[in-house]
Amino acid sequence: MLSVSDNDKVTRVGPGTPMGNLMRRYWQPVLLSREVAEPDGDPIRVRILGENLVAFRDTSGRVGMISEWCPHRLTSLFLGRNEENGLRCVYHGWKFDVSGACVDMPNEPEAFDFKHKVNMVAYPTLDMGGVIWVYMGPPEFQPPAPAFEFTQQPETHRGASKVIEECNWLQALEGGLDSVHSSFLHRKLAAGDGLGFDGLRADATAGRLDVETEDYGYRYAAHRPIPGREENYVRSYHFVMPHVQIRAAQLNNDGSWFKFKIAGHHWVPIDDHSTLVWNWFYSLDEPLTQDEKEERGFGNGPNEVDQRTFRALGNVRNDWQIDRAKQRTASFTGIDGVNAQDRAVQESMGSIVNRSYEHLGQTDKAIITMRKMLMNAVAVVQDGGVPPGASDTYYHLRGIEEVLPQDAAGLDVLADKMFARIA
Amino acid sequence: MLSVADNEKLTRVGPGTPLGNLMRRYWQPVLLSREVADNDGDPIRVRILSEDLVAFRDTSGRVGLISEWCPHRLTSLFLGRNEENGLRCVYHGWKFDVLGDCVDMPNEPEEFDFKHKVKMVAYPTEEIGGVIWAYMGPPELKPALPKFEFTQQPETHRGASKVIEECNWLQGLEGGIDSIHSSFLHRKIGEGKGIGLDGLRKEGLAGKLDVEPTDYGYRYTNSRGLPSKGQNYVRGYHFVMPHIQIRAAQLNNNGSWYKFKVAGHHWVPIDDNTTMVWNWFYSLDEALTEGEKNEEVSGNGPAFVDPVTFRAAVNPRNDWLIDRDMQRNENFTGIQGVNAQDRAVQEAMGPIVNRSKEHLGQTDRAVIMTRRMLLRAIDTVADGGTPPGLGESYYSARAIEDVLPDEEFGLEALAERMFVGGR
Repeated sequence: MLSVSDNDKVTRVGPGTPMGNLMRRYWQPVLLSREVAEPDGDPIRVRILGENLVAFRDTSGRVGMISEWCPHRLTSLFLGRNEENGLRCVYHGWKFDVSGACVDMPNEPEAFDFKHKVNMVAYPTLDMGGVIWVYMGPPEFQPPAPAFEFTQQPETHRGASKVIEECNWLQALEGGLDSVHSSFLHRKLAAGDGLGFDGLRADATAGRLDVETEDYGYRYAAHRPIPGREENYVRSYHFVMPHVQIRAAQLNNDGSWFKFKIAGHHWVPIDDHSTLVWNWFYSLDEPLTQDEKEERGFGNGPNEVDQRTFRALGNVRNDWQIDRAKQRTASFTGIDGVNAQDRAVQESMGSIVNRSYEHLGQTDKAIITMRKMLMNAVAVVQDGGVPPGASDTYYHLRGIEEVLPQDAAGLDVLADKMFARIA
Repeated sequence: MLSVADNEKLTRVGPGTPLGNLMRRYWQPVLLSREVADNDGDPIRVRILSEDLVAFRDTSGRVGLISEWCPHRLTSLFLGRNEENGLRCVYHGWKFDVLGDCVDMPNEPEEFDFKHKVKMVAYPTEEIGGVIWAYMGPPELKPALPKFEFTQQPETHRGASKVIEECNWLQGLEGGIDSIHSSFLHRKIGEGKGIGLDGLRKEGLAGKLDVEPTDYGYRYTNSRGLPSKGQNYVRGYHFVMPHIQIRAAQLNNNGSWYKFKVAGHHWVPIDDNTTMVWNWFYSLDEALTEGEKNEEVSGNGPAFVDPVTFRAAVNPRNDWLIDRDMQRNENFTGIQGVNAQDRAVQEAMGPIVNRSKEHLGQTDRAVIMTRRMLLRAIDTVADGGTPPGLGESYYSARAIEDVLPDEEFGLEALAERMFVGGR
């Protein structure tokens, strides 16, 4: 439960808000590299943390991320011309480079030197792991590059996608840190593709959660007793500030080895009411198959999400295409795609859920810890300090899952494997 | 730049707002005569200055403009029956004439005489120049008839059209009195019809703007130096209160004589977030061609705008059908139609742009002057006075363009010709 005022504090992300200030202390993923693949290619609209920006790759290959609004008369630079190392406004020809400097102002007499008096919002970007990242905070606090392990893999072994979720980012993050929901929400009742999970998760429902605070956020393990066996199905996760989940994807549903695969999400606030959900995954042994790259069964791939607008085909306006007959016989929800199921329950709460009404139990410990951590970090930033996760300690984190003896404490047993050996 | 408060004052037009009161002192064009061509023809919805009205031509040929909402139970009279000098509500049969009087109330007992106790909004109309005009202000302050020169031409020599722009009226007006943008926004790079303008505008980029207040608004000239010729390309305009531009259309793009054509716009607020843009044009010598009447170059004719709803085919929901290849090779914007290009940059600012963030240069002087004049006129009306542009002095205003020797530029060069019969 959160008070109404704390709920406001942790959900609102616009410029100058407490949470907005915290969010702006981290690198944020905003575009797939393919969206700005070509030098001098089409400019792209980017809305993030309640700000309207436009991205373009200039002639030299640098990715610019500047205000969408030309500072002159405030029309959209989305309409602009990407030419010779700058984006030119089509209204009066003002031209801006990736640093936001006005490099040409052909409609004003040279003598007035007006172009050196105009400045505009521009944020530094990085192209890493097939993703364009942006830093929107104070320049003196810019953290090291966001070298999550997935960004360091060869293209054959990694994938990333994104999809718009039509609710506040915190609802999405909370779903991602809540391990036990997957025994219910994602339960599969019959054979078929894309319905959800069966096997260990469907069998083992009531779980025990252990959470351990780290300097980047926390790691935690969910222990599910397997009925009829003296064993637990243990899944371990990392939460990296401010909105990142890293999870395991190594086992088949029956508990047998699949591959050394790890996955995760970033829940990047577009504004207070919509979220850009990033889905990424990588393999540390065998390369990914085409089906894995298209996220078959997850509801994030080209069959479920428009790959230009990143709008989901199943959404709040069509009741997530819920199929009641399927819900009776084939899956818990009647909705296809594991992440589509996640989005449905989170979006159905409304754009910002009022957490003063909720009732949390012991399996919600990870959520409670995360909220406390965010509130603390908000206070740290307000006091001029450095929040957790703004250094490089998360670079080597991995989510691990295993079937362990019933008395094993997952966080201890898996500790070594959850941090990659640094060569 | 405007303060947030002044920005509000200059953009809100509903009943009782300061600007709404100013707007209601002028005749406003509301319909093309063809929309209510027939006696007892179909009633038409009219939304203007945030009021919902319905228009109909009665049996005697008078055009009524009354509230859309039947005063009884407030259903829409758009559904009404236009019969025997009155519009009858289909719900309970109440009937209203063009003065807004209830002339029949068949559902109520005669003896209660309820129909004489019911009154409804009705505004006077005039039909001049193929256009239906309405006056929505205090009856005692009704100004002289809106006899712009275009309204006085024979049908063969004049044309008018309208199109909905999806943003606040002031963004439309400010684009229209901003001469220099046409060297950029409307620039043509390749060959082809309807993609923009080349020639003189393309050569003369940085312009010198001269503005002179008049009793109806102001007139101004923009003088573009033509380095290759040692001449000036001078375009003269009028701004007539509260939202009218009159511009020249006499020269071909290369500066040679075309015909004695003058054009203009009214930007009539539908409400705070939408504008009805009127486009009109007339020739003082040769008759207009079919292509001119259909506005093939401007993006306003039947090929671009639905002739019943007046919605543009090119609009914010389809990114104005921007074609990035066309933008690279053919014209500055990648958008077809000169006025469609205007709407794109104006709509792209959002419904009401926040002018406290803009950066105006010396070529924005006409824009600045307009805002001052409007703010002053708002105060005049609030103080019970008469704002500019209510007399007949604009009847003779016409716009002129010319290529003049280097030493001739500015307002003086064209003064005599910018008024019928000289100054």
